[in-house]
Amino acid sequence: MTRNDPIKHVFIWPALLIVLVISIFPLIYSLTTSFMSLRLVPPIPPRFVGFGNYAELLQNPRFWHVAWTTSVIAFIAVALQYVIGFAVALALNARVPGEGIFRVGFLLPMLVAPVAVALIARQILNPTMGPLNEFMTVLGFSNLPFLTQTKWAIGAIISVEVWQWTPFVILMLLAGLQTLPDDVYEAAALENASPWQQFWGITFPMMLPISVAVVFIRLIESYKIMDTVFVMTGGGPGISTETLTLFAYQEGFKKFNLGYTSALSFLFLIFITIIGVVYLAILKPYLEKHK
Amino acid sequence: MRKFLLGSTAVALFAMSGATSALACDPDYTGVTLSATTQTGPYIASALQLAAKGWEQKTCGKVNVVEFPWSELYPKIVTSLTSGEDTFDVIAFAPAWAPDFTDYLSEMPTAMQSGADWEDIAPVYRESLMVWNGKVLSQTMDGDVHTYTYRIDLFENPDNQKAFKEKYGYDLAPAKTWKQYLDIAEFFQQPDKGVWGTAEAFRRGGQQFWFFFSHAAPYTNHPDHKGSMFFDPDTMDTQINNPGWVRGLEEYIRSSKLAPPNALNFSFGEVNAAFAGGQAAESIGWGDTGVIAADPKQSKVSGNVGSALLPGSDEIWNYKTKKWDKFDHVVESPFMAFGGWQAAVPASSKKQEAAWDYIKYLSSPEVSGQAAITGGTGVNPYRISHTTKIDLWSKLFSEREAKEYLGAQKDSVTAKNVALDMRLPGYFSYTEILEIELSKALAGEVTPQQALDSVAAQWNKLTDEFGRDKQLAAYRASMGLPQK
Repeated sequence: MTRNDPIKHVFIWPALLIVLVISIFPLIYSLTTSFMSLRLVPPIPPRFVGFGNYAELLQNPRFWHVAWTTSVIAFIAVALQYVIGFAVALALNARVPGEGIFRVGFLLPMLVAPVAVALIARQILNPTMGPLNEFMTVLGFSNLPFLTQTKWAIGAIISVEVWQWTPFVILMLLAGLQTLPDDVYEAAALENASPWQQFWGITFPMMLPISVAVVFIRLIESYKIMDTVFVMTGGGPGISTETLTLFAYQEGFKKFNLGYTSALSFLFLIFITIIGVVYLAILKPYLEKHK
Repeated sequence: MRKFLLGSTAVALFAMSGATSALACDPDYTGVTLSATTQTGPYIASALQLAAKGWEQKTCGKVNVVEFPWSELYPKIVTSLTSGEDTFDVIAFAPAWAPDFTDYLSEMPTAMQSGADWEDIAPVYRESLMVWNGKVLSQTMDGDVHTYTYRIDLFENPDNQKAFKEKYGYDLAPAKTWKQYLDIAEFFQQPDKGVWGTAEAFRRGGQQFWFFFSHAAPYTNHPDHKGSMFFDPDTMDTQINNPGWVRGLEEYIRSSKLAPPNALNFSFGEVNAAFAGGQAAESIGWGDTGVIAADPKQSKVSGNVGSALLPGSDEIWNYKTKKWDKFDHVVESPFMAFGGWQAAVPASSKKQEAAWDYIKYLSSPEVSGQAAITGGTGVNPYRISHTTKIDLWSKLFSEREAKEYLGAQKDSVTAKNVALDMRLPGYFSYTEILEIELSKALAGEVTPQQALDSVAAQWNKLTDEFGRDKQLAAYRASMGLPQK
C-alpha cells in the first residue's frame, strides 16, 4: 500500500467519524446549549441568549465564591500532597526494611472510592460519636465543629483529599526517584556533599520534570472535587465549602437549568486552562534550565 | 361407556381448567405488560415490585418496574410525557413535580373514586394531593407528614417531672406549642450525660427546609386564608419573610443550639440515628423516626418511643391584616412535608385500564398496609386503616408505642388545619435558594430576617422568570383553590 493509495480512506474515515461522534459532537452540543436558555424544570422552550448565561454567571457572586473555595482546596491540598508525597517517596526509595509492606499500605487510600472515604471521614469527624472527638476530648477539646464551621470544614476536606491522593504522588515520585542514576550521588558523596545538599542540588532538580507533571495532574483533578464535599458538608454551611463541580451539579441535576450549567462547564474549562497555562509558563524557565 | 367416561372426564377437566383460569385472572390481563417507572430502589421501587408480584398472580398480566436514579427520574418522565410517547404506563413521582405533569395525565376511573377503599384514604390526600383543578389525576402511594417523637422514659421520670415543673411552672408532657418544645429541649440539654434536647435536620441538601417549614407552619398557615402560607394566592408575592416565617426560623435556629454539637450537619438519617441512639429527648420528622427508634436491633430507646402531633400555636400571622391573630386554643397545623409519592397513568398510555387496575391493587388497604409495615419500602401510612389496625404494627411497637404512633399519624393527616407542602414548577430552584440562606442563618452569618428577606427577593425574581401567571395558576391548583 502506497502513501497515496485510496484504500487509506477506508481505514481512516470510520475511526475519525467515531471520534467525532463520541467526543467532538457532545462538546459542540454542550457549547451550543451554553448559548441557550434551556430549562427542564419547569419546562421552558429553548431560546438563544448568546453570551447571556456567561454574563449572568460572571456577575454571580456565588460563582466567584465557589471558584475561590475550589482554588483554596486545590492549591493547599496539592501543595501538602506534594511535600508529604515527596518525603514518603524519598523514605521508601531509601530501601528501608519492609519497604514493600509500607508501599502497599501507603497506596491503599487511593484505591478506595472517594464517596466511601468521605463517608468514613464523616464518621471519624463526628463531634460526639467519632473517635477523633474521643481523642480530642482527652486533650480537653471536646465536640469540635469539624464539618459545621467554615474554616474547620475546609480544613477537614483538605485533610481527606491529602489522605486519599498523597499515595498517587508517592507512586509517581517513587517511580521517578528509582530512575535517577547512582553515579551522580556517588560523585557528590566524594565531594562530601551533605544529604541536604544532595537533595537540593541533585534530586530536586532532576525530579523537576516529573514533579511538574504530577502537580499538574493533581491540580486539575483537585479542581474537579465533588463527591468528598457532597458527602462531608453538602457545600455548607451556606455555600462556604461549595466547589465548582458541586455548583454545576446543583444547577444541572437539581434545578435542571441546562443552558446555565453548560456555560458553567465551559467557564470551568477556561478557568482550568488558564491555570494550567500560567502554571506551565511560570515553570518553563526552570524546566529549560534543568533540561 | 368407557369412551363416554373418558369424554365426560375430559369435558369436566376442561371446564375446571377454564374455571381455574377465569378465577386466576381477575380481571384477565393475559398478554398485557405494563411499564412502571420510579426512582432507584429500595424505597418506593420495592413497593411497586411487591405489588407487581401480587398483581401478576391475580390478573395474569406483567409489570416491568423501570428504575432511574433520582436525578434522572424527572427528565425521563417529563421527556416521555411531553413527547407523547407511550413509554410508561405507570409513573411514581414526587408530588412537587405534579404541576409539570398534570397536563399529560389521565383521570382516575370514576369507579375508583367511591366506595370503602376510597373513603379509607386520608382526606388530605384524597381531596388535595391527588387532585388538580378538580380532577383526580394521581393516587397517593406513600404518606408523608411530620410528627413529633419523644422519649417516654425521660418524660415520665418523676425526678425530671418535678424539676421541670419547678423550672418552667407547667407539667412535663409532649409539647403542644413550639415554646414548650424549646423549653423541653433546653431542660434535657445535658451534654455531660450524652443527652441533648432535640434532633432535627439542619444540613443543606439534607431535607433541612422541610423541618423549617414544620416550624413555620403553625404561624403562617392561617385557617381563614387557605393556601396563603408560602405565597399570596392573589398576587403570587411570596410570604416567606413575613413575621410568622421569621418566628419559625428563629425557633428553628434555637432548636439547632439545643441539638447535638454536629447537628448543623444532620440530614434526616442522622436525626433517626441520634434519636434511636438515645442522644435526643425529643425530635420531629417523618414516621421513619418512630419505626427505627422502636426497633431493638437499631435502637437504644426501643420500648420508650412516644409520638404526638407537631406542636401548634395560638397565634397565627394574618397576611391580609398584617397582624397576629390570637386564638383561644392551640391550632394544630401538622405539615405534610414532601407530601408522599404519587402514582399516575400518562394519557399517552395505551393500557390505561390495566395500569389503573395495577395502581388500585398497589394502593389497596391490604397491599399498601403490608408495604407500610415492611422495612425498606419507604411507604408510610396514608390510609385510615393503616393507622387503626394496631395488630399489624405489633411486630414493630409495644402497644402504647403503636397507639401513640398511629394516633399521631392519623390525627396529623386528618387535622382541620393541616398544612400542605409547596408544589410549584421549579420547586427545587425555590428550595435551593432557601437552603443556602437557611444555612447562613443557622451558621449565624446573617439574621433570620436578613436571610428570609434575601429568599423573598430571589423567590419573587424566580417567579417572574418562570412566568408569574403560570406559577400563580399552579400554586392555586396545588392548594386546592379555584382558578382566578
